[in-house]
Amino acid sequence: MASGFAAGTVSCGAKNGQEAATGIKASADVKKIATQCQGCGANRCGIYVYVKDGRVWKVEGNPRTYNNAGTVCPRGHAYIKELYNPDRIRQPLKRTPEGKYEPISWELAFQEISTKLNLIIMDNGPQSVFWAQYPMANIPLAFRFMHALGSPNTITHGATCFTARNAAFNATCGGLPDNDLKNSRYIILVGRNPAGGVKLQQIKDIADAKRQGARLVVLDPRHSETAAIADDWLPIKPATDLAFLLAMLNVIIEQGLYDQRFVSEHTVGFDNLRDGLVTYPPEWAEKICDIPKETIYRVAREFASYKPRALIHRGYHGGYGAGYFNSFQTARAVAILNAAIGNYEAVGGLFIPLKPALGELINGGHPAPNIPDIEKTDGAGVPGRYPSASYSDGIVHAVPELALSGKLKAGFVYHMNPVRTNPNPTRVIAGYKKLELLVTIDCVMSETAAASHYVLPESFFLERDDHVDTVHSGPVGQLTMVQQVVKPMYDTKPMLEIITGLSKGLGIGKYFNFTMDECNTLRLQPFGVTLEELKREGVIEVGPRWVEGFKPCKTPSGKIEFYSSQLEKWGLDPMPRWQKPLVSPNPSDKNSFRLIHGKQAIHTHSMTANVPYLMQLSNRYDMIRLWINRQRAEAIGLKDGDTVVVESDVGKGSVKVRLTEGLHPSAVWMPSGYGIFSKYLKTAYGKGINYNDFLNTYFDPAVGHVMSNEIIVRVAKA
Amino acid sequence: MSAPESLGKLPKWAMLIDTTKCVGCLACVAACHNQNELPVTEYFNRVEEQEFGRFPNYNRRFLPMQCQHCDNPPCVSVCPTGASYKRSDGIVAIDTRRCIGCKYCILSCPYKARMINKEHGYVHKCSFCAVLLENKTLPACVGTCPTGVRVFGDLNDPNSEISKLAASKKTVQIGKDLNTKSSIYYIIG
Ligand code: SF4
Ligand code: SF4
Ligand code: SF4
Repeated sequence: MASGFAAGTVSCGAKNGQEAATGIKASADVKKIATQCQGCGANRCGIYVYVKDGRVWKVEGNPRTYNNAGTVCPRGHAYIKELYNPDRIRQPLKRTPEGKYEPISWELAFQEISTKLNLIIMDNGPQSVFWAQYPMANIPLAFRFMHALGSPNTITHGATCFTARNAAFNATCGGLPDNDLKNSRYIILVGRNPAGGVKLQQIKDIADAKRQGARLVVLDPRHSETAAIADDWLPIKPATDLAFLLAMLNVIIEQGLYDQRFVSEHTVGFDNLRDGLVTYPPEWAEKICDIPKETIYRVAREFASYKPRALIHRGYHGGYGAGYFNSFQTARAVAILNAAIGNYEAVGGLFIPLKPALGELINGGHPAPNIPDIEKTDGAGVPGRYPSASYSDGIVHAVPELALSGKLKAGFVYHMNPVRTNPNPTRVIAGYKKLELLVTIDCVMSETAAASHYVLPESFFLERDDHVDTVHSGPVGQLTMVQQVVKPMYDTKPMLEIITGLSKGLGIGKYFNFTMDECNTLRLQPFGVTLEELKREGVIEVGPRWVEGFKPCKTPSGKIEFYSSQLEKWGLDPMPRWQKPLVSPNPSDKNSFRLIHGKQAIHTHSMTANVPYLMQLSNRYDMIRLWINRQRAEAIGLKDGDTVVVESDVGKGSVKVRLTEGLHPSAVWMPSGYGIFSKYLKTAYGKGINYNDFLNTYFDPAVGHVMSNEIIVRVAKA
Repeated sequence: MSAPESLGKLPKWAMLIDTTKCVGCLACVAACHNQNELPVTEYFNRVEEQEFGRFPNYNRRFLPMQCQHCDNPPCVSVCPTGASYKRSDGIVAIDTRRCIGCKYCILSCPYKARMINKEHGYVHKCSFCAVLLENKTLPACVGTCPTGVRVFGDLNDPNSEISKLAASKKTVQIGKDLNTKSSIYYIIG
């Protein structure tokens, strides 16, 4: 950055000539307030929101928050204007027998919902109730609410996103590590695209590492946006990352390139691993994954030569978060390869982030309800069902089946939209409609809201305070929070007030007799930080800094487990071995493709397509297109920009194509943020299609994830 | 390093865009849009995408584009009212009060950097965030870029990062043959 400049100085409008030169009106009243972005639900970047003459104007990144380091992604810029979206819900709504929605008062809504819920619990037990939401800062409140009712069923979107990865890292090293990309010398991304599934700090650190001479290898069937700044793009055949990784391991072990000291001191099961890998040389892998053996040898040697300052990114959704039948074992192979070069808790390798433990409500005299002594209805974490699935994430796409079979009767969906983001909408709608009570808490009428009995509008993030958060913790603990920037525009409430309102009629009011300020003050208590300080600073660092050096793992052995006896006990493969994908394109049908998907930097899940500015970018840059390999496309008579019909055994839809040399011939790639079918979302309605329209309902045997890339479609000119 | 105003002479603003680090995320486009309070369909900057090669030897490049603040700006010479003018700090500005919306400048700009404001009928474009510069704040597109593609600064300060980078052989000016003498320097990998 140029000297003499500050990013983040309040600039109070223009003067004279400037005003005319820029069209910006001079303004006396500009305020700058620290908060957290909610434009993607995941990263919660630290931001400053500027309010000009009472109107939300623009955002800047907080330079000190770990996840974004002063920058803001396009969604973050645009999402603040969602405050003014005419499609926002302005008061609580109730569905009429004709399927219309009419206003209802908060008091009456609370009363009616709790009366119905009480009856449902009386007849069916508390395990017939669920709560689904993203794993956001306030999720402890959802747990509290469900546990107070006696239900274990809190669910996140995890099974449609990342649970294969989490479970594999848990089995291998007892937690989900972060990547020290900035200090790494050799970075491999397996299906991960931090420039599209945006993680600002990661993409920044990769760029900085490259400036220091690091090499970046992107293994991805599609030339991702991150591949555009990579040294190597390896266009692997989708569903075969595991073959590539097994061959890398084979080379590193056979040729003795691994970190022998690290392996003998900090891992278990090396001998089993070595024996299991002999059948996977690069000569074997190249036939499966379409990457030449020479390249596999080279990447394996280069990766090991930088040990321990090299890493394979721990991944997210793309690649092996929840994509394929073999995703769990693919993630295991990633975790094991990192350990083989001894990069755990090493500079330039992987490390467990230092998340500070927040203060608890009990310290203020608010005891927590007991954790219900009942198995989760979806089978997450239950031996014999999905033993390695996480208790706190659950299995969200099991809800429709459980509703249809009568095991779930009532549900709360909070800022999530499973009707659009879960596989096979017809089935999902049928399931959610079967519920006797569905309450959606959101700011807009999502597809899920539009299938609910009651819709309760939460105040927009700029209108409310949320829980103190630790999401920015990495090499040091960081505290951040969403704080109110403007007063609520409509008759909306923050989440705590909504569940407090519900709790009274449900007989669990004693668990909700505190305010958000009180809760946040208690959360901050262990650190000697006041709420005022945090609100002023936007971020406060607490606790020790990360130091290099191996720390005992939270695994049964306390070491990194190449061989996992825990997995063996559960009847799962204790070591990664090659597994074929569940489905494959028909080689004799030139219209047959695997459908894969990914994010564009301007959209998140189904929550941003209705932001007018972001949809405008989608159109201006012609981004609502299905990518298809040029040769394959021409073989079926397609030209760039043609409309095609895409069809699987689940669904059918049409979309424009983008012909490209940047995609493996066996796949078509669909951007994931489109296909909104709630007619209440006027900007997004009917624009583009969504991979979930084509996806069967699957549950992988290990963690119950969706296997969202196990889709075969036929693509033909419309 | 000293702040620009302590040099005792006017700055000469310029930008460097390192396309080898651009991932086409459009954060710069969205930041510009908010900063300048533009209508949804209007924009001052854009990111072009270029493709090279055949599968599997393929690559893409993202090329951020905006007003190049030319030292020899055709838009200024064609403007009949003097609304478009060159400031002494290098910025090409528009006095929207004098703009009659004739669009000569839009046609003359080789970089397609200008557009009509539908509501008021005047032409507008990137101003290097001149308002922010007055407050020693970087242009909106610069500060928000996650990969540090954009470097902004004063060419009259020989110690500035931009001066060093602009002098290096690695950079090019787009459309150099048009003799527009642009103030944006590119690194094209
Ligand atoms: S990545 Fe973008 S949308 Fe997500 S929190 Fe950060 S700025 Fe907001
Ligand atoms: S913000 Fe940076 S990386 Fe993103 S498109 Fe703009 S210049 Fe490229
Ligand atoms: S880029 Fe276009 S608008 Fe900008 S100074 Fe040059 S000619 Fe004028």
